[in-house]
Amino acid sequence: MDQKKYELEINSAKTLDELSQLEIKYLGRNGQINKLLSEIKNVPNEEKREYGQKVNLLKTEIKKYIEIRKLIVSKEKSEVFFDKTLPGKAYPKGSIHIVSYAIEEITKIFEKIGFIRVSYPEVDWEYGAFESLNMPSGHPARDDVETSFIDVPAHPNLGKMVLTPHTSNGQNREMKRVKTPPIRMINISKCYRPNWDPTHTPMFHQFEGLCVDSDISIVNLRGTLDYFAEKYFGKGTKTRLRPHHFQFTEPSFEVDISCNNCGGIGKYKGEKCRVCKSGWLELGGTGMVHPNVLREGGIDPSANSGWAFGFGIERVIMMKYGLDDIRNYYSGDIRFLEQF
Amino acid sequence: MNIKITHNWLLDYLDTDATPDQIREYLSLCGPSVENVEKVGDDYVFDIEVISNRIDYASVIGMAQEAQAILPMFGKKAKFRENSLEKYNFKNIVGNKNLCSLQVKIINPTLCSRFTAIVIENVRIGPSPKFISERLVACGIKSINNVVDTSNYLMLALGQPVHTFDYDQIKGATMIMRESKKGEKIITLDKKEVTLPGGDIVMEDGSGRLIDLCGIMGGLNSSINEKTKNVVVFVQTYDKVRIRRTTMATGVRTIASTFFEKGLDPERVEPTLVYGVELLEKYAQGKIASKIYDIYPKKQGKKLLVMSYGLFGKKIGIEIPKKKIVSILTNLGFGVSDGPKQGQTLLEGLTLQVSVPSWRVNDINIPEDIIEEVARVYGYHNIPSKLQPAVYVEQPKEMENLFVFQNRIKTFLKHLGLNEVINYSMISEDQIKEFNLDPKKHLRLSNSLSKDIEYLRMSLLPSLLKNIKENSGKTKYNSAPGLRLFEIAKVYIPVGNKNICSLPQEIYRLGIAVNTDYSDLKGIIEAIYKELNINFEENKNIFPLPEIIEKSGNYMVEVDFQSLIDNCQLVPKYKSLHPYAIIKLDKTFEVRADIKTAPTTYAGIKQKALKSKLLQNIEVVTLYKNKLTLRFYYSSPEKNITEEEAKDALNKV
Repeated sequence: MDQKKYELEINSAKTLDELSQLEIKYLGRNGQINKLLSEIKNVPNEEKREYGQKVNLLKTEIKKYIEIRKLIVSKEKSEVFFDKTLPGKAYPKGSIHIVSYAIEEITKIFEKIGFIRVSYPEVDWEYGAFESLNMPSGHPARDDVETSFIDVPAHPNLGKMVLTPHTSNGQNREMKRVKTPPIRMINISKCYRPNWDPTHTPMFHQFEGLCVDSDISIVNLRGTLDYFAEKYFGKGTKTRLRPHHFQFTEPSFEVDISCNNCGGIGKYKGEKCRVCKSGWLELGGTGMVHPNVLREGGIDPSANSGWAFGFGIERVIMMKYGLDDIRNYYSGDIRFLEQF
Repeated sequence: MNIKITHNWLLDYLDTDATPDQIREYLSLCGPSVENVEKVGDDYVFDIEVISNRIDYASVIGMAQEAQAILPMFGKKAKFRENSLEKYNFKNIVGNKNLCSLQVKIINPTLCSRFTAIVIENVRIGPSPKFISERLVACGIKSINNVVDTSNYLMLALGQPVHTFDYDQIKGATMIMRESKKGEKIITLDKKEVTLPGGDIVMEDGSGRLIDLCGIMGGLNSSINEKTKNVVVFVQTYDKVRIRRTTMATGVRTIASTFFEKGLDPERVEPTLVYGVELLEKYAQGKIASKIYDIYPKKQGKKLLVMSYGLFGKKIGIEIPKKKIVSILTNLGFGVSDGPKQGQTLLEGLTLQVSVPSWRVNDINIPEDIIEEVARVYGYHNIPSKLQPAVYVEQPKEMENLFVFQNRIKTFLKHLGLNEVINYSMISEDQIKEFNLDPKKHLRLSNSLSKDIEYLRMSLLPSLLKNIKENSGKTKYNSAPGLRLFEIAKVYIPVGNKNICSLPQEIYRLGIAVNTDYSDLKGIIEAIYKELNINFEENKNIFPLPEIIEKSGNYMVEVDFQSLIDNCQLVPKYKSLHPYAIIKLDKTFEVRADIKTAPTTYAGIKQKALKSKLLQNIEVVTLYKNKLTLRFYYSSPEKNITEEEAKDALNKV
């Protein structure tokens, strides 16, 4: 039998079907091997042994070739194209609210310079929201802060019950808790004002910083604001203070940060910067704690001084990420929520 | 409040080489915020924000005062050309003083800190000179005629509102200033009838008619018209609290009232009246026809503050030279002299005595106010920036835990595929009723903007259910099945009764709502418990799994957040490793709710199985219809157990 012939025949088989045809052809009951074996009777006796061995060897070899070819063919068959550009196994992707992220980020920034986050009531008496902050009853400054009132009888000494319109009610509470300076507070909380329009929601978040110690000056306030601006808005962000008036601070300032879109020059690619218009963006109000506020918190203003600020969380998110439609924040719309 | 003044007008008072843009920039950094500069004709209009305690700078002369202090700090020349406040005084008034007279009576002297009036006769009503009408229009005020324009011009120039009456319409030439009675009516200049709440400052004439809603708007009956011949120039300062109360109660608000309600300087009344007379003589050909009526019962004495120079350095953080302090204060109109020596050290020793100008007595009260004046003009941008020294302040553990765990749970639920939502703390009455809760037991806002946010919520679930409902029609990008939302927020539990109330308890809760199925939500809760190492299976009685509520195919749960923290174990209880075999056996049960006998449930099976101390764990293998196949893990930490022992234990289940 011609070795080349069966080897070629077996190795060119493409399917398992072809191979089983070949198996029958060579190894079947009426196959070629059996045919060769049946011819042994015609072989002289002294050669019979050698003849038989040769045929058996041939049989083993054909068997081997077919087995190998079967493996190859079946493997080739299973090797369909595997697309490695497909995405991997899908794991669930939930989301955390953008405000939660900002709160966490801000907490950590202040934690590094020794400020502790506190938690104080969102429902407070007028005393906490106003009187303790140098805004006596009937003071016109109270009109500037629109307030949501709770429909319960007023407290004989502390006034009406209100939803806190700012986080500054934490100032008096923290002073009374700590009793003796130093104070390093960051108070982040929900605040409420009866405003509901495209740029206001009746609930929002503020973060309030308060630092009281024996020798705190405007230099330190500037230092803290610069530190925060660089950490939160990015390296190179500058701050500036402009004169302003608040009852609970003296002196009082408004803080601006340099616009990161135009680098604080007010012009972007030769045109007026669309983000800031003047190179600066207003961050919020700050100042040196008014002596009356310290006194009301049981702290001697002749031996201590401090600074305080209150900024809007939604505002810094807007400034940093450009998420300007504030109404989406609290609408519960899954298409907004799932993005973060 | 904002006011507008023009650049040329400012230059009438101020000699400066600063450009309008420089004025805008430098003033905004150190004083009044100039929000805009606009070129109008050959003039520029400044749009200036007036902060509530600085009504004194809401005028051309006020801006000149600020500029005189601020511009030199930027190397610019700035000096008053002439100070009208000093130039114009009653001594200048000459003329025939006895042609017309007025009967003036002030019933309650506290209404009006200073009352002045003078009669000008034979005015010729006509258009104002060009510069007056152009300036007024540029500043956003309508030009009407030479007499009316004079009062508006005076207001912007000196910051003191002025009213002019038609003298001949004041019956009996009598002016009686008094408090209004409740329900009294007046028709004001704009032809609107205003009903007064009572206690408002008003003026009646000899016939008892109201002719002025003082400080807010004049009466129509005595207003200037084309036929007016004789004019009363009327300049006063009022009790600011009353003015404010009246504008708030009646809703009538004018530029004049926004000035008066902030409290004006009675000293400014004199130059304003005299300047007004000059303008009417010049541009309306009027002649003085009466004496000056000036009722000024309580002239304010000089206000003095004494403080140490050392305080500036201490509060600002850098030393500002004494000479600079003095020049800044002087340029702002303060008087400065050396004060008495106090204390022994140099810091306390050198003091200064500051006399406060009359137009700043309302806003300058304590040394910090003086420090602000010096620091702002010196320039906040010139003050260095340095963090305060670090100190350790201990954070109360319960506050720390609250934030650490909130963050941990939020991150964990996010990784399970849930979406965090933040809802308003206020909900509607309908939302409360939907959960069979009583709105009356909730705190209610008395001035809520909308019925949707009227009550402070006592549960997070109504908000979450609303979220699920409102989102059900929306297509999200995330293909994960259904909606799975969570919120960590406070609920507000009222304390007290109808008569005496304390602040509510504010309690953090974790709320979860899904529209998938029961077992999805139960799995989420179990996963949280496992994450926090809360052994809810063994401590069944201590901290059970919360109840799952079903509402129209949505499943919800609410947990007290503090109790999650309290029951959490940072590291679970350690079980020592042992080399002995674990034998796993499967068994199938038929679960059913049989009323007559005890029902067969997973919980029941488990309870029985746990009676064997060898049982380490149970797993659900399959549930097909009511055929439940469970896998039991048996093992002992002391020895190898045989399969027979395990089977024995299982057979008892």
